[in-house]
Amino acid sequence: MVMEDAEAPHHMLLLRNFMAQGLVLGQPLLYSSPARDPRGFLGTLPSPAASKDDKSRERDPDQEKGLRIAWQYKKYLGESQLDGQRDSKHEYSNEFDLRKPLERHFINGPRIDCVSIQDCPDLSTLRDRCATFLSQFPRNDGSISCAGRIAIQSFCAPQCAYSNMEWDMLSFIRYLKSMVRSSNSVAIITFPPLLSPSFCKRWQHMADTLLSVKAIQDEDKELAQLLTGYQDMVGFLNVHKVARINTQVPVILEATTFSIKLQKRRYLVLECLNQAPVDGSSGTSYGTSGGWSSSSKTGNLDF
Amino acid sequence: MAESICRALRDGALEGELAPALTIKDSVASPFALQVFSHVLSQLFSSILAGKSQSRGLVVVSFSRSPSFYLDLLKNKGTDIASSNNQIQILDCYSDPLGWKDQLAGSRNFTALSNEVLVSSTAIVFREVKHMDKLYNSIIELGKGLVGGGKIRFSIAIDSVDEMLRHAPVSSVARFLSNLRSHDQISSIFWLLHSDLHEARVTAVLEYLSSIVASLEPSHQLANGQRGDLENFSLIKHNSKKGKFHVRFKKRNGRVRVMSEEVHIELSGINFTSLPSEGAINQGLVPKVQFSLQLSEKERIDKANVVLPFEHQGNGKPIQIYDGRRSLVDGKHERPFAAVENVQTNENCGSGEIIYYRDSDDEMPDSDEDPDDDLDI
Repeated sequence: MVMEDAEAPHHMLLLRNFMAQGLVLGQPLLYSSPARDPRGFLGTLPSPAASKDDKSRERDPDQEKGLRIAWQYKKYLGESQLDGQRDSKHEYSNEFDLRKPLERHFINGPRIDCVSIQDCPDLSTLRDRCATFLSQFPRNDGSISCAGRIAIQSFCAPQCAYSNMEWDMLSFIRYLKSMVRSSNSVAIITFPPLLSPSFCKRWQHMADTLLSVKAIQDEDKELAQLLTGYQDMVGFLNVHKVARINTQVPVILEATTFSIKLQKRRYLVLECLNQAPVDGSSGTSYGTSGGWSSSSKTGNLDF
Repeated sequence: MAESICRALRDGALEGELAPALTIKDSVASPFALQVFSHVLSQLFSSILAGKSQSRGLVVVSFSRSPSFYLDLLKNKGTDIASSNNQIQILDCYSDPLGWKDQLAGSRNFTALSNEVLVSSTAIVFREVKHMDKLYNSIIELGKGLVGGGKIRFSIAIDSVDEMLRHAPVSSVARFLSNLRSHDQISSIFWLLHSDLHEARVTAVLEYLSSIVASLEPSHQLANGQRGDLENFSLIKHNSKKGKFHVRFKKRNGRVRVMSEEVHIELSGINFTSLPSEGAINQGLVPKVQFSLQLSEKERIDKANVVLPFEHQGNGKPIQIYDGRRSLVDGKHERPFAAVENVQTNENCGSGEIIYYRDSDDEMPDSDEDPDDDLDI
C-alpha cells in the first residue's frame, strides 16, 4: 500500500512502473481509479527503457570494422547478434522510459480490466470484479507461469461515494488481501491522506508492504544545503514496512528514505539518503514517523 | 505573488490535464477571503476581456451574495458590463437556492414575490442546489452558452463552497469539483472557503482537490484566552487591516512552491506587498533589553566599510600583529557592535573602524600573548 501526498502525484510514477512492468511481462492487469475513464491512464504508461544489450548490439557494425585484422572473430559476433534477435522475450526490468509510451499492442490486449470507482455507491462492484479477475490465477495448481497484478489508485478519494464508509473500505482491503494471498497475484493500493487517524493506522497495519511518498518544496535553501542533488529531486519515498510472509526473519533495510528523481525527465530513479539516528522508542504511526515535515518553517529533518 | 495566482488561472489548463483549481481559505482571525476572491475575480475578468487569457468567458456561481454584488464590483473596477454580456454569466444560487419562493408562488397562485431586480440576462436563477448533477449541468450549459462548443474554454468562480457543503455531502461536492476540473472546456476554477465552518477533514479534501491553496492568516497570533487584554487589543486592530497571505502551488513536476506576502485591506481594495524581513515586523514586539540588537543605517554602512584582516594583507603595508596588550582607541567614539565578536584588531583605513575597548587598563593583558599569525592590525 502506498500513502499518497496530497500535494504531489508521485504515487502515479510508482503505479505506472508497476503496471507497465506487468503488461510487458504478459501479466494480466486490473486497474481501478476514481476517474470517469480509467483506460485513459493506460496511454501514459512508459515503455521499457532500451537495455544495455540493445546498445551493444547497435555498436556491432562499428566493431566489425575494427576487426579487420582479427577477422577470425567476426563469426562470433554474427552469432551473438542472431541469438539476440531470436530472443524477443522481454527480460525482467525495472527501467522504464517515461517519455516513450508503451506500445499499443500491450495496452489493447484482452488481459486488461479497468474499473471506475467514482460512481459506485458501494464497494460490491469492485469486490466482484477483483474476485473474477483473481479467479484466473489459482495457486493450487503448482505452476506459476501466470501471475496477476491489481492496481487500485486513490482508493478513498473524496469523490467516491463510499469514501466515508470507513469500515466498509477496511473490510474490502481485508477481503482483497485474503484473495491475493490465495492466488498468484499482487496488488498495489494507493490512498490519499484523508482518512481519520484511527483508520489511517488500521490501513497501515493491513499492508504487507507499506510505502509513502512525500512532496518536496521548491527552492528550499535548507534542503538544498543538506542534500546533494536536490535540484533533480522531485520527492521522497519512505519504506515503512516490507512484506515478510512465511518467514520470521525480519528485513533490515540499509536505508528507509529514498529520493525520487527523474533522470533526464525519463527514468525514475530511487536513491538512498543517509539515515540519521532514529529514536526507536517514539512509537508514532507510520505516517508521521521521522518527524518529516514538508513545510520549510519547522525544517525538522529526521530521516 | 497574488500576481502568480492570477497568472496561473489566466494560463489555464494544458491539453489532457486537469484545470488549475484555486482554494482561497481564511478564518475568523483573518477574514479577508472575500476581498481576495473579488480581487482574483476582477483580475481574471479583465484579462478575459482583454483577450489575454486562455478562457473566453467567466461563469460565477454565487451562493452567498446576490448577483448584483458582482456586477457592481466589476463596474467599480472599471469594466463595462453592458458590453461584456457575452463574457460573464452568473448562476444565481443565492436568491432561491431550494426553490421555496417558487413553490410558494405556485401553490398560492401569486405572481412571483420576487422583489429582487432582474439583473438583465446576466444572471440565471438556480433552484436545486441539493442536486450536484443538475448544478454541474447548468454550469456547463451556461459556459457553453458563453463560449460555444468545441475547444474554447471558460473559467468558473464559486462563492462559496461553504454554502454548497450545507446542502450536499462532501463526497458529492468533491465529485462535482473534480468533474469540473476534468471537463475539456474548463480553463480554470477557483472557490472561496471559510475553514472555521468545517471539520479539518473537509478542508483537507478541498485542498486535495485544488492545485493552488491560498490561505490567509493573521499577521500577529493572538495569545489564547486573552482576548480582553489591552496588549492584544492593538494586535486585534492590526489584524483587522492586515494579514499574511500564504500560497502553496502544486507544480507539474511534483514539487510544491511556497510563497508568502502581506495583504493590506483598504477602502479602495486590497493590496499585496512582499513580506518584510522578520526583524521589522517584530520590532514592536521585541522584548525590551538593555542592549541594542539592531544596527542603525549608519552603523550598517560603517560595518560594511571595514576591511577585514585577510582583505588587506599582502598590500605591501607592514603587518602588525595585535598582541592583546593595548587597547587602541582611535577615531570617533562609536558604540561597540554587539553583533560583531570581539575581534582584537584595530583597523585604520579611514572609512570603517573596529574599536576595541578594554574593560579596564588595569586588567591583566589578554591571556593569548601568542596570538594568531594573521591577527594583524
